[in-house]
Amino acid sequence: MKAVCWMGTGKVETLTVADPALLNPHDAIIKITRTAICGSDLHLYDGFIPTMESGDILGHEFMGIVEEVGPEVTNLQRGDRVVVPFTIACGNCLFCKKKIWSACDNTNPNAHLMEAAYGYSGSGLFGYSHMMGGYAGGQAQYARVPFANVGPLKIESDLPDEKVLFLSDIFPTGYMAAENAQIEPGDTVAVWGCGPVGQFAIASAFMLGAARVIAIDRLEERVELARSLGAITVNYSDEDVSVLTALKDLTGGVGPDSCIDAVGLEAHSAQLQGVYDKVKTALMMETDRPSVLRQAIQAVRKGGTLSIPGVYGGLLDKVPFGAAFGKGITMKMGQTNMHNYMKPLLERIESGQIDPSYIISHRITLDEAPEMYKIWRDKKEKVTKIVIDPWMEKRAA
Amino acid sequence: MSNALNEKPNAESLPVSASAGILLDGRYIPPPQDKDGKIWVRTTALVQADAEELYTVWRNVEAAPLWQEELTQVTATGPTTSRWVMESRGKTIEWDSEILADEPGKRIAWRSIGGDSENAGEVIFENAPGGRGTMVTVLQEFRMGKMTSAWETLVGRSPKQAIIENLRHFKALLETGEIPRTQGQPHEDRGMIGKMKGSAYGENIKTRREAIALQVELDPCLRKIRPHLLPRS
Repeated sequence: MKAVCWMGTGKVETLTVADPALLNPHDAIIKITRTAICGSDLHLYDGFIPTMESGDILGHEFMGIVEEVGPEVTNLQRGDRVVVPFTIACGNCLFCKKKIWSACDNTNPNAHLMEAAYGYSGSGLFGYSHMMGGYAGGQAQYARVPFANVGPLKIESDLPDEKVLFLSDIFPTGYMAAENAQIEPGDTVAVWGCGPVGQFAIASAFMLGAARVIAIDRLEERVELARSLGAITVNYSDEDVSVLTALKDLTGGVGPDSCIDAVGLEAHSAQLQGVYDKVKTALMMETDRPSVLRQAIQAVRKGGTLSIPGVYGGLLDKVPFGAAFGKGITMKMGQTNMHNYMKPLLERIESGQIDPSYIISHRITLDEAPEMYKIWRDKKEKVTKIVIDPWMEKRAA
Repeated sequence: MSNALNEKPNAESLPVSASAGILLDGRYIPPPQDKDGKIWVRTTALVQADAEELYTVWRNVEAAPLWQEELTQVTATGPTTSRWVMESRGKTIEWDSEILADEPGKRIAWRSIGGDSENAGEVIFENAPGGRGTMVTVLQEFRMGKMTSAWETLVGRSPKQAIIENLRHFKALLETGEIPRTQGQPHEDRGMIGKMKGSAYGENIKTRREAIALQVELDPCLRKIRPHLLPRS
């Protein structure tokens, strides 16, 4: 089959590799009908996540048709149409029972690597480094899905793939971000990053009762999308815009009740700290560039909540913890507990409350993926979301 | 007992001693340190299953290749003795083992009695506080020089890590009916460095896949214990 392989930092190739096979009793093989490139794949592309190995198949947002199931998968059959969550969960360990699915004890075969770095291991993820399980990803024509008895969500309606594909990661991730923001009716919520997760966090914040949402980004096409959802937008690349001042101005000096960092470890900053973090990460004195995190801690109101769906990987420098303590803020974060959200969010899509396909900017073939990684990384061509049809030979006009 | 605090609505009474020497009169005891040609490893896992079930699977030594790395065969040679065969990087290692203590549902202790490996160990099954499953604690000792151990670590799995991973596999098998794996999945050629790292990650170490033939023979025994988790074949 064809698959998008990580071949080193800044190097991605579409290659022909072996088809996946059933390896364990709870496995399923999925023929992929749609898959996507995630913003967090750019962290892999840029070499920010350790334990990627040359030859790894990328991709963790995919859906398709069940091709084959292992002997212990009783809930799925060949021909079923499913969306696959990017976190793999066993369903039986202490954490799955507590519905903290992304902390599953039993799905990371390389748990010892993550234990060494983080103290404990989270669940395995598709296509996201050996530390996170080393599972082959879904930017391919087929994928093996472990614990298929627990994860995949069956789509029984005839909704097109594009409307349900983002249940695999970014819609639930944006939704959990809004849930973690502990929004109360009437609240003002600030969201950093108007990429796909930011978009769904904005939409979900409104769904959960926010009166106002303030969206922050530097790319005009993205703030435009945010405005289409009803958010107030602050473009920090505009002349004389200071995000902290803007947030005070827009909240009567109080600050947002909740702040959502939908950017993560590769934040861009127009200020001196941006240069500081670039130098420190280049010298390997710091692993992440936390300028959004710093700003969000500074911006959130006293006793407010900071929710962090953006990915962080390692050690952060100059995080204003004194401000966090001084204001008594709450921080909530982590990989998405996918399995809690897929079904309720599918119902919202089915009932017409939201059509997640509005964020798609590019529809491409597998062969075009390597070039698109580069274009997206360099923020050219106004990319908001790239969807791949792994069986399409030529891009439709 | 101190009377300093009388209000502890959910506190449970402490065992006098517990878990292969983890607790003594309420004090935490650290694991033994490597010395005098002995290497120690103590590891623990919280498993969502009954102590009885866990004991039964552990005590069934012939099923050990289902969840212990690189074991190819274990044969019972008597009520408390067994012969263990391991393949590690093309080398066959064999030894005999005997069970020294056997308390159903609670504890098993063993030692090797001749062969290529000198080892002794103990496993304890205890109810976790709050009814949250069973705490399984393993204390294992190898007679092995530090140099040998360092060499094993360099070329494959360190003996200590193997014990930790084996308990992890045991937990996964008992909780889910399988051990997670990626061996055999597609990828593009990894090149030299990638292959070396694969070995450092432990991804090349043989686990249950190779034991499937054996599993079929052992199924009836395990099926009785956890029928809902094993392949119906």
